[in-house]
Amino acid sequence: MDILILLGSFALLCALGLPVAYALGLAAICAALWVDIPVEAVMLKISDGTDDFALLAIPFFVLAGAIMAEGGMAARLINMARIFVGFIRGGLALVNILASSLFGCISGSSVADTSAIGSVMIPQMVKAGFPKVFATNVTICGSVQALLIPPSHNAVIYSLAAGGSVSVAHLFLAGIFPGLLFALCLIGLVLWISHKRQYPKGEPVALKDVPKIVVEALWGLVTVVIIMGGILSGVFTPTESAAVACVYAFLVTFLVYRDYHWRDLPRMIHRVVKTVSMVMMLIGFSVAFGYMMAIMQIPAKVTQFFLSVSDNKYVFLLLVNILLLLLGTFMDLAPMLLICTPIFMPVILKLGIDPVHFGMIMILNLGIGLITPPVGPTLFVGCAIGKVTMEEVSKELWPFYGAMCIALLLVTYIPAISLWLPGLTK
Amino acid sequence: MEWLYIACILLSGTAMVIITLIIPFGVFMRYVMNSPLSWPEPAAVVMMVMFSFIGGAAVYRANVHVAVEALLNAVSAGQKRLMLIGVDLCIAIVALFMVFYGGQLCRITWNQSMAEFPALPAGAVYLPIPIAGALTFLFLIERVWVGAPPSTSYMYSDAAADLE
Repeated sequence: MDILILLGSFALLCALGLPVAYALGLAAICAALWVDIPVEAVMLKISDGTDDFALLAIPFFVLAGAIMAEGGMAARLINMARIFVGFIRGGLALVNILASSLFGCISGSSVADTSAIGSVMIPQMVKAGFPKVFATNVTICGSVQALLIPPSHNAVIYSLAAGGSVSVAHLFLAGIFPGLLFALCLIGLVLWISHKRQYPKGEPVALKDVPKIVVEALWGLVTVVIIMGGILSGVFTPTESAAVACVYAFLVTFLVYRDYHWRDLPRMIHRVVKTVSMVMMLIGFSVAFGYMMAIMQIPAKVTQFFLSVSDNKYVFLLLVNILLLLLGTFMDLAPMLLICTPIFMPVILKLGIDPVHFGMIMILNLGIGLITPPVGPTLFVGCAIGKVTMEEVSKELWPFYGAMCIALLLVTYIPAISLWLPGLTK
Repeated sequence: MEWLYIACILLSGTAMVIITLIIPFGVFMRYVMNSPLSWPEPAAVVMMVMFSFIGGAAVYRANVHVAVEALLNAVSAGQKRLMLIGVDLCIAIVALFMVFYGGQLCRITWNQSMAEFPALPAGAVYLPIPIAGALTFLFLIERVWVGAPPSTSYMYSDAAADLE
């Protein structure tokens, strides 16, 4: 009955259309009243959820990403990607994917990636002769890499949801190879489609322009060096590195690139405040929800259930992947990470699955959910930028889902892809 | 209500900018000046709680909170209207719980002091919860009474600058 009160009321409230943050809060309040826990304790947990110093990394990463994205970084990374893959068949589509890999180094959001890379690449691809739908699909699928490639604020959310026991630095390192593998799977698919449909070749970049393009892009890519170098050397905490990256991003944008105008700054801060407040409210309410789950011993009951189905970790991972893919079609990444991580954490520890590896599986799996209808924020943004309907895009997304699922299976069943790099630092 | 929304965004935005400056300042003092400061971290955390909740109330008015709208979009117009009334009622309940029980939490902890800022009552840290509850409730009344804010509202003015 306890599970029904907490999870049932949450599911019901979500289905009603109540914002997920408030649904988590109301379900936690209902459960607290049911088991006679003072509601003040729920309020305390809501506040506790947002007053963790490690969480400050989230607004900083979002802000640094926004400054870089709007300050002309996207265009410079696209120019750099053009040097490496622009000249082959389907070159612009490959440039799109590679630019997303590079953009992932400065922003951990697939929506921001779609918006920044898509607004430059989709019109260029269409002008070069690629169909609008294909250009949109390449953009939205490529953007999922940003969730894995460090710095990813979703890794910070996962670390928090896992009870703070999983190192953010390890999660950042763990994301590099899964991100690149994901890009490779997409590149393989795009090359195959481009040859089959005879999509156009791009123009090679003139050799004399290469140094200028590389230097301009490197100014921005130094952000990831500051973040990763700072964290791994122990000079900064992840939060401090994110704050320093913000200041650096600001200086590069306003002093080096000079594409951004001071008058646009309040507008950007307005947007970042909205994004971050939405995520932080979600985190606050989900901590209260998690507190009630712990009191009702729901994670322990879920562990028992999964172990009764199978105690084989490969079967468990398959079941979890299917479950998350289904749930991910309806719900956004951050709330799913916040709700599911504490539920699955005892099971994965019992089965001997590394939490860092599991984090990569969850982020990649739920990242795919961001581009699946009916609820897919990245899909919506991509359709708006590409000026195509969701139906048109969805019809042609199947091969892309196939490539992404191959990447997901490889990341799931070859833990070394995620764990090799963090293992070097242990 | 428009001014209330602008005040929320101004307050949250200012807090975010201050946090973004004081954390690197703390790093600068620690490594460059060799004089570590104890206040930037706790001050940043207190401000983060404030901007999360005050900004969260503004986000409600801007209708940006993540919601699952699959069922809402699948039902008839009449059923949708009923469901939206249910959503408003639920928001009102959460907001009033935040005002009442968040207020209680502030009252209970008001006489305790924070270790990092002895002059600041511990209850002040929880103050954003009842304030955010009250603001959300006011924005809800506006939505029910007047309808969604007009398209000229400041809250729609944050579209991204043109990208190169």
